[in-house]
Amino acid sequence: MRMRALLLAVLLLTGCAAPVQDGVRLTFWTWVPGMDALARKFEATHPGIRVKVVNAGQTKDTYTKLQIAVRAGRGAPDLAQIEYSALPQFAVTKQIADLSALGADALRDRFTDSAWAQVSIGGRVYGVPQDTGPMVMFYRRDVFDRLGLTPPRTWAEYVETGRRIKAADPQVRLGFLDPGDPGTVDGLLWHAGATPFRLRDNTSVTLDLTGSPGARAVADTWSTLLREELVAPVPSWTDEWWKAASAGRYATWLAGAWAPANLAHAIPESSGKWAVAPMPKDSPGEAENGGSSVAVVAGSEQQAAALTFATWLNAEPEGAGLLNRELGLFPATRALLRDPAFLDQELPFFGGQRANRVFAAASDGVRPGWHYLPYQPYANTQFKDTVGQAIVNRTALGPALADWQRRIADYGREQGFTITTGG
Amino acid sequence: MLLMLGYALLPLVWLFVSATKSDADLFSSFGLWFGGEFSLWDNIKRVLAYDNGIYLSWFGNSLLYAVAGAGGAALIATLGGYALAKFDFPGRRWLFLLVLGAISVPGTALALPTYLLFAEAGIVDSAWAVILPSLASPFGLYLMRAYALEAVPDSLLEAARLDGAGELRIFGTIALRLLAPGLVTVLLFALVATWNNYFLPLTMLSTPERFPLTVGLRQWNALANGGSGGGEAMYPLLLTGSLLAIVPLVVAFLFLQRFWQSGLATGAVKG
Repeated sequence: MRMRALLLAVLLLTGCAAPVQDGVRLTFWTWVPGMDALARKFEATHPGIRVKVVNAGQTKDTYTKLQIAVRAGRGAPDLAQIEYSALPQFAVTKQIADLSALGADALRDRFTDSAWAQVSIGGRVYGVPQDTGPMVMFYRRDVFDRLGLTPPRTWAEYVETGRRIKAADPQVRLGFLDPGDPGTVDGLLWHAGATPFRLRDNTSVTLDLTGSPGARAVADTWSTLLREELVAPVPSWTDEWWKAASAGRYATWLAGAWAPANLAHAIPESSGKWAVAPMPKDSPGEAENGGSSVAVVAGSEQQAAALTFATWLNAEPEGAGLLNRELGLFPATRALLRDPAFLDQELPFFGGQRANRVFAAASDGVRPGWHYLPYQPYANTQFKDTVGQAIVNRTALGPALADWQRRIADYGREQGFTITTGG
Repeated sequence: MLLMLGYALLPLVWLFVSATKSDADLFSSFGLWFGGEFSLWDNIKRVLAYDNGIYLSWFGNSLLYAVAGAGGAALIATLGGYALAKFDFPGRRWLFLLVLGAISVPGTALALPTYLLFAEAGIVDSAWAVILPSLASPFGLYLMRAYALEAVPDSLLEAARLDGAGELRIFGTIALRLLAPGLVTVLLFALVATWNNYFLPLTMLSTPERFPLTVGLRQWNALANGGSGGGEAMYPLLLTGSLLAIVPLVVAFLFLQRFWQSGLATGAVKG
């Protein structure tokens, strides 16, 4: 009798341990709030796969933890959100799975060229694009109207607009340049057609932050803007910066299409005073600033199921649509970027402007061929002490960019990369 | 003196004033004075309600980690310091030098090896992963040894031994009382250290429900200024959450400083 009870208990226990035969449980690290609701919708249509969404911290925190956990062989998730700028590092160090081997190449046509290029490293795919940040010029319509200005279309007009603003109202600046943010400068270089970082294969890198006409044009324009004090050298996201933005003391902000969400949440009182225009340009071509992908972690034992989720979330109309509508991410899929319902939205924050059309046009025109370094996070840490110093001191940006390049090259060589510099 | 006081208190004043502001006032009114409306209670309600009240979990975790970690660290440091000061055993000098050496190793440098160790033991992403490392406080041990050398007279211990008391009883009834001021000092140090600990829980924990306040607030901070879309106006939440987070430390200091001050003064005058 006792034996039978024991047997029954054992059977019950084992039964409880494996309730569903084909039950796959995935863990997904992301920093986007509200992702949990999307995972529940995925589960509704994909019985057998459960997704646990974990907000494991923001970008840098997540990367640190991910690297430690992957090396320890324990505690790592199955999927992780990784920015385009950090993806090559994880791919080259083999901490994330090669998705080409799992058939992800078939997803190529669903995404914009630039998004796909940024998840492709050495001809293999390492992430499913989630969102992009086509760069545009946000500007204060109220300030421009008050001073009788029109949005500048070329960089010469941009500088000229800065001079007229400064002359008309010394309290207002044309814009700002963050001495701690390499992303904006990267975006400006990209936009001007420079390719400062090029990854030839997994071990050799070509650097050119100063030699190309594009890079020289960026350095010239922004050295002038800084020298004449037309733009403020202030760190963004600070109390002081938000106050100035709220009061309309920066007439323009060059940023990715993700910026409206931040503006609307942090300084809602400025709603209706903003407008969107393409970035000033001297030759056709656009750029991106930011954006991220979902990668499958190398040690995951459920890589196929993980890719199924990443595909539903980012490539299928349902998931991609929810990412945009519910979470405010700017789409990376071609389908959504061509969807009239998306394009014709009149955004109240921009006074009813159909801003998505401007964003989508920028996304369409993104210059191909942009890459980040396999050690971009390190390179970014060196920005503050080189280019950042020049920004703060309003000195010429050219030598500072050269200084940044030298540090990036030195570190790359120490890490065993073959580094070529210059055009 | 006044200048120093102002310098030390100014950030606190700013934090308090900012926590009373509404979303719109936060970035449009002067930083060191109140805005148009007093929204402190409203902000606190939002902090407690955000994400199903995750702030309360963080608060509870911080309390748990601080009480268990700092309390344990103070107790172990007292035991160890007393032993190092009052017992002669082989290797005592080397052990002491080892402790001195351990003080110079920053906790951050140990986070990675500790993670690997705990990953083997299967306790990463659990409360133990944060509490266990907090229990080791070489500086506390060093402090308690120095304190025990002075505060516990050898003759008193000898007298107790002659009366037939066991070592544990001597420690519990005599030494511990004499050591109490030192213990409180170490407790305060350890309390502040574990309450403010950021990197260890950051690496060890990946489930937000287990985060302490430091990691959780930092997550809100990043949400507030990251380009990650979605979310709400995080700055008022972040500021009010930070204000609430310093309350327990202030309470602990106000409550414990009596023991601390009276303790440090005793024995300082000729008897």
